[in-house]
Amino acid sequence: MKPVAEPIVGRYLRFEILGKPHRLYVEEAGAGIPLLCLHTAGSDTRQYRGLMNDPEITRHFRVIAFDMPWHGKSSPPAGWQTEHYRLTSADYTKMVLQVCDALALERPVVMGCSIGGRIALVLAMEHAKRFRAIIGLQSGATIDPYYELDWLHHPQVHGGEASAAYVSGLMAPTSPEPERWETLWHYMQGGPGIFKGDLYFYRGADGDIRERLSAIDTRVCPLYLLTGEYDYSVSPEDTRAAAERIPGVKFTVMPKLGHFPMSENPALFLSYLKPVLDEIKARD
Amino acid sequence: MVRAIMALPLETLKDRAADDALLERFGLDLDCALLVGDGDTDWLVKIERGTVTRVTRGPLIMPQTDLRLRAASESWARFLEPVPPPGYHDLFALRRYKRLQIEGDIRLMSAYLFYFKRLFALLRKT
Repeated sequence: MKPVAEPIVGRYLRFEILGKPHRLYVEEAGAGIPLLCLHTAGSDTRQYRGLMNDPEITRHFRVIAFDMPWHGKSSPPAGWQTEHYRLTSADYTKMVLQVCDALALERPVVMGCSIGGRIALVLAMEHAKRFRAIIGLQSGATIDPYYELDWLHHPQVHGGEASAAYVSGLMAPTSPEPERWETLWHYMQGGPGIFKGDLYFYRGADGDIRERLSAIDTRVCPLYLLTGEYDYSVSPEDTRAAAERIPGVKFTVMPKLGHFPMSENPALFLSYLKPVLDEIKARD
Repeated sequence: MVRAIMALPLETLKDRAADDALLERFGLDLDCALLVGDGDTDWLVKIERGTVTRVTRGPLIMPQTDLRLRAASESWARFLEPVPPPGYHDLFALRRYKRLQIEGDIRLMSAYLFYFKRLFALLRKT
């Protein structure tokens, strides 16, 4: 096999996040309108490999993704050994804005999936003016718990395998097997307790934003919601329930995709995403 | 005589599970007495060191079990479709919509969840 160098370039960015020094891993490909991508709970930037390797997208968009602190190649802050990692909505929001500032991104498009899809709704509510457009993948305003989180971080259970196994069914059975197992490998590599800590924000104290959705003004910042039909964590009905509270939102159900559309079947996902990006580009 | 309505071809499980590479990969050291409820019919699946060694059809008198998974036969039937519809395509999809009852040693189930998911997926027609 002839070696192929992908156009994705990664580097470490040192700056303060939430008042602590961090060494954050950021990767990007392409040039043009900045498109900041947020990975799912317990995973990392590799989920967006399909986007960053698609020349039609990178011709017009500078696709950027970062491993959240504690994820992928971004280490936790010094002193992590005495903490339990717990993500909150406020911290996640601040982190996204601080990354935008650190990278000097001017009104980027932001796209997030799952917990990133939830924070996309929060950004649309609270910081719409800072973004050119917002895309939520598998976005819901609340979630109906259907399994106990305790076993995702327990000394007698391999957290990586358990986390991967719990999320494995969220993908469409028709998604290509290598991409599905690639997606699961990212989960298997997650740090101890990190997937569970991400879900604290999602299922915990500030886990229900239904009543706040009407504050979203899509005239200030267009909002797109795309949801794969096989996702039972955030089902199309869950996203539809959120969309019904947001005037002007554009909601699409994606058949034959699940909770990780960009990673479980990049080619099929891009067929849904490209018209959205074309619309954003045309408006620009 | 009324014939019990069942969906899961559990009588074929032992053969389907034999030499399966995923079970071998994810079943390291697993010992489990698994009860599977398919409508009104219970089955006991005995797993030793990751291998399915015995499958017994009920009625079971006083089964000693580690894990019990039960669903209506209609739910299992949809789960078994070659491309199952959303909401029926995974054990936890069934659980999410309250079609599957899970009881027992949840630590064991979590530690070997890939194994258990694979075991049920093997029952699909090919």
